[in-house]
Amino acid sequence: MESFIFAMFNGVLYGMLLFLLASGLTLIFSMMGVLNFAHASFFMLGAYFAYQISEGLNFWAALIVAPVIVGMVGAGIERWGLRPVHRYGHVAELLFTFGVAYVIEELVQMIWGRVPVPYEIPDAMSGALFTWQGFDYSIYRVFMLVVSVAIFVALFALLTYTRIGLIIRAAVSDPIHVATLGHDIPRIFMWTFGFGCALAGVAGVVGGNVLGTEPAMAIQLGPIVFVVIVIGGLGSLGGALVAALIIGIVTRLAIFYDYGVGSLVLALGLEIDTAGMLRDFTRITTAQVAPVLPYLMLVLMLIFKPRGLFGTRDV
Amino acid sequence: MGRLAPWIGGAIVLIALPHVFSSGFALTLMSQIGLLIVFALAYNMLLGQGGMLSFGHAVYFGLAGYFTIHYLNFIYEEEVPYIPVTLIPLLGGLVGLFFGILIGYVSTRRAGTTFAMISLGFGEMVTALTLVLVAIFNGEDGIQTDRVIGEELFGVTYGPNIEVYYLIAGWCLLCTLAMFLLTRTPFGRISNAVRDNPERVEFIGYSSQRIRWLAFSLSSFFAGIAGALHAVNIEHVGFEQVSVLQSGLVLFMVYIGGTASFVGPIIGATLLYFLQSTLTGVTEAWVLYLGVMFVAVIMFFPGGLAGLITMHQPIWRVHARLLAPLLIPYTRFFAALVASVLGCIGLIEMLYFRSSRLSTETELVIYGIESDPFSAVPWIVFTGIAVAGGFAVRKTLPSAVSAWNTAIADARTLPRG
Amino acid sequence: MALIKLVRTFAVMFPVVVVAFSARGADTVKLGLIEPFSGPIAAVGRDTLEIFEFFANEVNQRGGVLGGRHIEIVPLDNAMNAEKTTQQLRKVIDDDIRFVSQGVGSNHALNIIKFLQRHNRRNPDQAILYLNHSAVTTSFTNELCSFWHFRFDANVDMKVAALVTQLGRDSSVQKLYMLNQNYAYGQAFQAAAQQMLAERAPGIELVGDELIVPFGKVLDFTPYIAKIKAAGADTVLTGNWGPDLVRFVKAASEANLDASFYTIYAGIPSSVAGIGAKDGIATRLKQVTEMHENDPLYDQQPAELLDTYDRWRQQTGKSIYSERMRWTIEFFAAALDKAGSDDPALVAAAMEGMTMDGPAGPLVMRGEDHQIIFPMVISTMAEDLERPYIYEGDNYEVAFATDGWIMSDAIELPTSCEMKRP
Repeated sequence: MESFIFAMFNGVLYGMLLFLLASGLTLIFSMMGVLNFAHASFFMLGAYFAYQISEGLNFWAALIVAPVIVGMVGAGIERWGLRPVHRYGHVAELLFTFGVAYVIEELVQMIWGRVPVPYEIPDAMSGALFTWQGFDYSIYRVFMLVVSVAIFVALFALLTYTRIGLIIRAAVSDPIHVATLGHDIPRIFMWTFGFGCALAGVAGVVGGNVLGTEPAMAIQLGPIVFVVIVIGGLGSLGGALVAALIIGIVTRLAIFYDYGVGSLVLALGLEIDTAGMLRDFTRITTAQVAPVLPYLMLVLMLIFKPRGLFGTRDV
Repeated sequence: MGRLAPWIGGAIVLIALPHVFSSGFALTLMSQIGLLIVFALAYNMLLGQGGMLSFGHAVYFGLAGYFTIHYLNFIYEEEVPYIPVTLIPLLGGLVGLFFGILIGYVSTRRAGTTFAMISLGFGEMVTALTLVLVAIFNGEDGIQTDRVIGEELFGVTYGPNIEVYYLIAGWCLLCTLAMFLLTRTPFGRISNAVRDNPERVEFIGYSSQRIRWLAFSLSSFFAGIAGALHAVNIEHVGFEQVSVLQSGLVLFMVYIGGTASFVGPIIGATLLYFLQSTLTGVTEAWVLYLGVMFVAVIMFFPGGLAGLITMHQPIWRVHARLLAPLLIPYTRFFAALVASVLGCIGLIEMLYFRSSRLSTETELVIYGIESDPFSAVPWIVFTGIAVAGGFAVRKTLPSAVSAWNTAIADARTLPRG
Repeated sequence: MALIKLVRTFAVMFPVVVVAFSARGADTVKLGLIEPFSGPIAAVGRDTLEIFEFFANEVNQRGGVLGGRHIEIVPLDNAMNAEKTTQQLRKVIDDDIRFVSQGVGSNHALNIIKFLQRHNRRNPDQAILYLNHSAVTTSFTNELCSFWHFRFDANVDMKVAALVTQLGRDSSVQKLYMLNQNYAYGQAFQAAAQQMLAERAPGIELVGDELIVPFGKVLDFTPYIAKIKAAGADTVLTGNWGPDLVRFVKAASEANLDASFYTIYAGIPSSVAGIGAKDGIATRLKQVTEMHENDPLYDQQPAELLDTYDRWRQQTGKSIYSERMRWTIEFFAAALDKAGSDDPALVAAAMEGMTMDGPAGPLVMRGEDHQIIFPMVISTMAEDLERPYIYEGDNYEVAFATDGWIMSDAIELPTSCEMKRP
């Protein structure tokens, strides 16, 4: 039981980190129709900027400044890169971000080198906040949880109760009408893109020191974020939250409660083939396939409910 | 006769090439390009002709490769009926077709972004499985074979690389012809229609989903042939061949070459693989150049390289002499472009040298000139070239564009011939 | 014909950017080095190249081989891609290079072994010899062994043997947890460890034995840490490398897991840089290597060698973490001289059974399977040592301190190799 709660805690935490990434992506997608393949690259930039700033100043400065810079970079790429491509259609836009992801990765390697950089958890927050039933709940992880929950609440409030939020929500559902009301849609697009990237940047700042800050981190995390927003339903912040939490928790529990295909086969009274080519199928356990589960969920979801959990329109 | 000319010409080039470039390296390179052309054309059946963006098409390429290698090894152990290596690619094609029908059934139910996402999901899953199912895929090590399984017609054993080159060249020509003819069939036309307007296709009585499924399966068939040829050429297949990286590479090839024209993927596959193979030994920044090139193509000429050619087609169709006035403005524009690109390459190379130089590397030679990245002079020179080139590009572009506009207007007014 | 000439000229002109290396001469003995010099793990390949260049240059400065000829290292980029490896091998044949070396990625090593077996059988006059400096798959010197392959690194089984022997010595080890990557290498590590634990350390209880999806797919290791805690393990044994090692260790440190980590690859630059001092010390991170800079035996090595090391550190700003690459060059040079020829078959014959002095005992190239045998050292990450770890000029302020040496007799394992000699 104690380990179950520990696994749940970490599942929720990881889910919230995914949500930070996914929220920006789903905002961008629902408004502009662009699936930003480079989104995880902005997450990586956040981590690298945070490392650089915390080397010079400290972690708290990084937490504020790094996402702002990432947001500016994102807005710049939207303004001078993505906007000219807009007229060639969504596939071209998607491919553009795909190319940007390559370029960012190479630039990061050129500037910070190809080995990981030592971006560490600040000393003030290393160590356990409390120990419960033999498991340490570290200060930093609790802090991460607080940050991500705070951002979720702030985002929700922003979209629901402010005028900017109203315009953004309107632009999401009907950009043409909003434009006819006199709003500068390209500018809203640019700032939304920048804002979404900044959210990814925050995730990079708080997650980079836990996951390791290295050039391959974008490629490793990128596809999972897509899975989250597709399962949650595109354009739905609540959906992204639920999907991120589901993926966070399911992958952790799969590791924790390690059931194998072999035990299932035995339970069915069948004989296990230990020598043939298919022998590995009987050896697969849930823990081994945990990282693949999100993709399985994605494929199943798209086949049976292409709108995702809370989506209001097709992908 | 005029229609056959490009095919005969292509065949002659394919036969002649190994006599011009006969080294083992060149033969492998040309063989790889040959099979990548098949793969790229197969991919463009989806992207260009069917409007389906896939991030996981290497799955069919790679799985066919795995199957081929296993089959060759089984022939050794005499566990399966003998098939001559000449016909092995067909077997690979059938494997690709099998998985294409299977996975295509679920993934082609929707087009657009849904399809792209499902293909990404399948790509990631299959890559992960190749590492988990060791008995079949042998994890990171991949599986090997010896392609020499016996003597075939005319004493061909496929031991020497030149024989494999001709095997690949033959299949490449055959598949290219087949795929070209497919675009001329009613199926090819209706596939284009599904890309452009699926609703209308439904109105005239076709199932757009069925058409997508058929296109997907056929594309997987040709991807499978390419995968089998790859297995025969390299005698090894590993998880890289099914990975999303391989899928991304073929996407780059097709898009840079041009999706709208049939020859686009051929140009893209040839150019990209040639550059990749020759540049990796020369510059560390290769991946950066690839990314920048891809982004530049999307931003500035989304028709790809083939698009640049086809936009002049209506002009020379009318009369080749109409191209003459284009020569000077084009030359000026390209000179400016080349200068700015060369300047930028110089700067990037010096940056890379400074950031990741090895202590045993003593000097950097750019364009045959020794450049010291730790002194100011080369930086000033290359920045100057890049900036001046950039300005010149902006200056010369309008006249190049207006020259083209004039030429195309002339071509419209003049009668043919 | 003019067209052909034009095309050829273009092909020759093509390399517009050239990075020049120190040793380039007419009459050299060429050693092709096939490694990733571009792409995501180019750093590993380029570090290897630097070591090879540096120590080949040392041999050349001493007067070269075969009465004055120099060793020239020819870098060949495979971009960590199997088809590129094959392509570069064909280039090796084109350019009449008769010796190749490689070590990053056992899949490429296997490719080279198989390729050379076919090539050398079909073209005995153009035989090529392969010096494997780091690929550790045990079968290369067992059932897959080849006359044309020599390995200068301990194989997985030998490394596991060293680690398990040390585990048996360490009385604080009671409950052991194993975690490995689920692919050929990780599974081989797991199988070897299971067998040797039963033989050499029967007192240790194996409280967990886990395989994970490899290559950075696991982003968060905390659930594994929770399992290790729940199992009450005091020691972790893992063959993980790359992000799978870095994240594992960092997650353990962050969760205050009180356990020692026995690993193979903790001491390579990307691991040290990624893990960092704090987490490495908190997890009592251990590695098994052929040597390390803070071992008491380090200073007892010959003066000229210490001199060379000092120059290496000064010139490159990097610590010495893989002696085996230096050995590869030294054995190569010695075998050339012993054979008195650059014929690969003669050089291979000369290398069989060759010995050299190592820091703690002789290095022996075993003739029956071409596997090098040498004493290995287990060391733990620690602060305040004489030579802190440096990489590209950055000082990481930690290094490794010796726990103990495992002598050759404990590491030398029988081989099933049935070598076919030409």
